[in-house]
Amino acid sequence: MRNENAGQIRIIEAVFAVFVIFSAFAVTANLPAAQNTSRSDNLSSVGLQVLMKLDSDGSLGRNLDQGHWTVLRECLTLAIPAGISFNMTVYDEQMHEVNTAVISNGGFGSQEVSFTEYVCASRDLTLNCYAIHLYLAVTQ
Amino acid sequence: MPAVSIDTFFACSLMVMLVLSAMAVTTTFLRPHMNTTDGDSSQRLYRELSKYLLLSEGMPSNWGQNGQTIPETFGLARSNAECPYELDGDKVSRLNDENFYAISYAEAFTSLEAPDTFFKIEIKPLFDVKIRLDTTFDSNNDTIYQFEISTERNGVPISTQMRIFTIAEAYLKATSASATNGETMQNVTIPDTVDGPALLAVIARSAYNDRIMSFNACAFAHSSAEPNLKGTFLKLSPLNHSLTASFSTSGIDLTNAYALTLNHEFQLEQMSNTSESTTYEIPKILDSGPTILVLTGTNSTRSFIEWTAYPQIPVEMGADFVDSHALSDVFSFTYLITIDSIIYDCTVWLGGPA
Repeated sequence: MRNENAGQIRIIEAVFAVFVIFSAFAVTANLPAAQNTSRSDNLSSVGLQVLMKLDSDGSLGRNLDQGHWTVLRECLTLAIPAGISFNMTVYDEQMHEVNTAVISNGGFGSQEVSFTEYVCASRDLTLNCYAIHLYLAVTQ
Repeated sequence: MPAVSIDTFFACSLMVMLVLSAMAVTTTFLRPHMNTTDGDSSQRLYRELSKYLLLSEGMPSNWGQNGQTIPETFGLARSNAECPYELDGDKVSRLNDENFYAISYAEAFTSLEAPDTFFKIEIKPLFDVKIRLDTTFDSNNDTIYQFEISTERNGVPISTQMRIFTIAEAYLKATSASATNGETMQNVTIPDTVDGPALLAVIARSAYNDRIMSFNACAFAHSSAEPNLKGTFLKLSPLNHSLTASFSTSGIDLTNAYALTLNHEFQLEQMSNTSESTTYEIPKILDSGPTILVLTGTNSTRSFIEWTAYPQIPVEMGADFVDSHALSDVFSFTYLITIDSIIYDCTVWLGGPA
């Protein structure tokens, strides 16, 4: 009699355990899956796109010809997405540094730094070619 | 059957179920965090898809111009664009739910033909124009309103040149100003004989690049009650260089219609008029840049002033990723796009089910 009762109790235990475990799974299954929103801007492609946009109407070459470094810095500040630092250096055909002022919006505190090289030709009667080195970094 | 056998059977079944369930749950939770080629390839796939949205014209290629056309395939690029990422102003306007002819997200999702991919697009100017009514003075027969106008990007002041328009019924006055440190105070004088409400519209251009522009407008009370929210009386839908003003309430009588650009201001010419809407022609001008469209009128009880921009920017359209629990990975891609030669900021979010 006592053994028979023990068997019944174990069955009840097992059923109860199954109920508890499945309840736990039912609850966890309805929890939101971890959502991973990542900013996937490829810094190099951002830099290239910004330079191409500024060059599309010839204003980039014009500013380089006239040495408007402040204008270039302000244009980059507007065009580059928030949270990205930049540092631009301009070279002539002989790879001599042309810019006489720093074209940058701050220090680089990030390990993720990208480099974009862009060749720009001015649209004046005298053809000037420039090599632009643009470094971008995610601001920390 | 002895009780021990039943016991053993239950215990074994329980163990098997426990192990299988644990594996399933662990996989579900760890999958989004695993840095595998799967994640890289989905990021690459979404990047290409975001480019496709901005570089393809869609089908038919002029789906933006005709308000009745639903695109078979989705794409926002302008037909015969001269440079990449040049978008069609009409297609962008049809993403804005303020536009009567806007396509729904469901229609855009279907025409994208990428099942299991949810997206959101936001297009906005590169900087913001903020307008704040500071103080009001009473003069002899006029009222003077002092406005604080600021131009900034993410809190950083932007040096701009701007054109400021004051409109109330048949009254239109334009002045120029500059905000070298991103801020200017402007006094606006309106005669008391003019009925309100009034609107202050601002079109600003970066002092350093002609192709970076922004705009805003602010309705305010002048010899009238406080103005209603935008869209209370009219739904303004600019498409294909015509403006359709759909009446939201009955008894609407439109009195004046203006188009404002950085260098020009026009009175709009009425093309057609029905009991439900009125259509105006938007002049085509050589100057590039946004056009602010302003309509004044009355309904049976009060006067109103409504405005919109052409192209209808800023615009945000698509899935709500913030409240979505079913998605595991959401990628955002930022682009500089041009509409009518003006540079705007475009962000595309893409994601799929877990």
